[in-house]
Amino acid sequence: MSRRTFFALVTSLIVMTTPAYAHSPIMGIEGVLGGFLHALLIPEHGMSLVALGLTLGREEQHRRRYGLLVFTASLVAGLLAVGLSAEATFAGDGLLAATGILALLLAVAWMPALLYWALIAVVGVAFALDSKPDVTATAELARMLIGSGLGGALALTFVAEGSFLSRGPAQHIATRVLGSWIAAIAILDLSLRVVTRISTG
Amino acid sequence: MNKAVFEPIRIRASVQLCVCAIALVSTASTALAHSESGIAIDFAGGFAHPITGFDHLVAMVAVGLWGAFLGMPAIWILPVVFPLVMAFGGALGVLGMPLPGVETGIALSAIALGAMVALAAKPPIWVAAVLVGAFAIFHGHAHGTELPVGADAIAYSMGFVVATGMLHLSGIAFGALSHWPAGRIAVRAVGAVIALIGVGYLGHFI
Repeated sequence: MSRRTFFALVTSLIVMTTPAYAHSPIMGIEGVLGGFLHALLIPEHGMSLVALGLTLGREEQHRRRYGLLVFTASLVAGLLAVGLSAEATFAGDGLLAATGILALLLAVAWMPALLYWALIAVVGVAFALDSKPDVTATAELARMLIGSGLGGALALTFVAEGSFLSRGPAQHIATRVLGSWIAAIAILDLSLRVVTRISTG
Repeated sequence: MNKAVFEPIRIRASVQLCVCAIALVSTASTALAHSESGIAIDFAGGFAHPITGFDHLVAMVAVGLWGAFLGMPAIWILPVVFPLVMAFGGALGVLGMPLPGVETGIALSAIALGAMVALAAKPPIWVAAVLVGAFAIFHGHAHGTELPVGADAIAYSMGFVVATGMLHLSGIAFGALSHWPAGRIAVRAVGAVIALIGVGYLGHFI
C-alpha cells in the first residue's frame, strides 16, 4: 500500500468518526467498564472532573489529598443513594452550577477555605446522583455504579496529581484560561437548560 | 517496451484512484433535518456561531491583538475576562432580558479595540480589562438571543466558547509579530482596519 493510499484511508476513517453524545447508550459495553466510560464520556462530568482536578492541583499535598478523600466519600455516599433508588432530577444542574463556581474561582485564582470543601462535597454527590444508568436489573445497576465511582475517582486523581506535578507559570496561566472557558460553558449551558425547561414545561 | 514499463504504473494509479473514491464516498454523512431556527444545534453549530458574524469576529481578534500588544499579564487576562463576561451577557440574552443598543455596542467595540491597537495605547491593565469586559456583554447578549432553545446545550456552549478562545488565540498569534519593528506596523495596521470595519458597521446601524 502506497503512502498516499494509506493517508487516504486514515483520513477517511478520521472523517467517519462521529461525536459521542451525552447519555447515549454505549452499545455493547456494560457492567463496570460501561459505568467507568459513562462517568468519563458525559461532557458535564468530564468538565467537572477537570475543574475540580485543576482546583485540587493548586493545593499543597495535605489539602489536595484530603480533598480527594472528601470527593471519594461524597461520591460513595451519592452512589449508595442511587443504589437505594434515590431520584435526583436536578443533579445535573447542581453539578453544572458547582462546576461553574469552581471554574470561576479558578479563573480569578481565589478559593475561600469553606467553599473549597463544600464544593468538593457537592461535586462528589451531584456527580454520583447524575450517574444513574438506565438499567433495571439490580446487579447490572450495582456494577455500573461501581464503574462510575472508580472512573470518577481515578480520573480526578489523575488530573489533580498531573496538574500538581506540572505546576509553573505556563500551567498557572493555562489553568486560569481553562477555568474561564469552563465557567463560560457552564453559565451558557445552565441558562439554556433553564429556558428549555420553561419553554417545554 | 514503453507499454511494459507504464502498465504497472497505470494499474497502481487506478487502484489508488479507486481507494480515494471509496474513501470519499465513505466519508459522506447523512443529511440531518434543520433545527426550527435554521441553526445547527450541536458543537459545530456553536463553533460556527462566533466565526460567521464578521463584526464579532474582528472584535474578538482585536482582543487578542491588544492583549499581545500590551504584553504580560494582559496577554492572558483579557482572554480570561472576555469569555466570562460574554457568558453572563449570553445568559441575559438567553433568558430574554433586554439590553439596549446591542448592535451599536458591538460596532463600537470593533472601533474602540481596533483603535487601541492602531494607536498602540497602553492603559493600566484594569482599564483594559473593564473596557474588554464592557464590550463582551454586548457580544454575549447578541449571541445569547440567537441561541436556539432546545439545543444540545452543552455541546453548543462548548463549541461557542472554544471558537471564541480560538479567535483570541489567533489575535495573540498575529499580535506576537509586534516584537519586530515591521510586525509592529503590520499589527497596528490590522488594528486600524478593524476600527474602520467597526465604523462601517456603526454607519450601517445608524
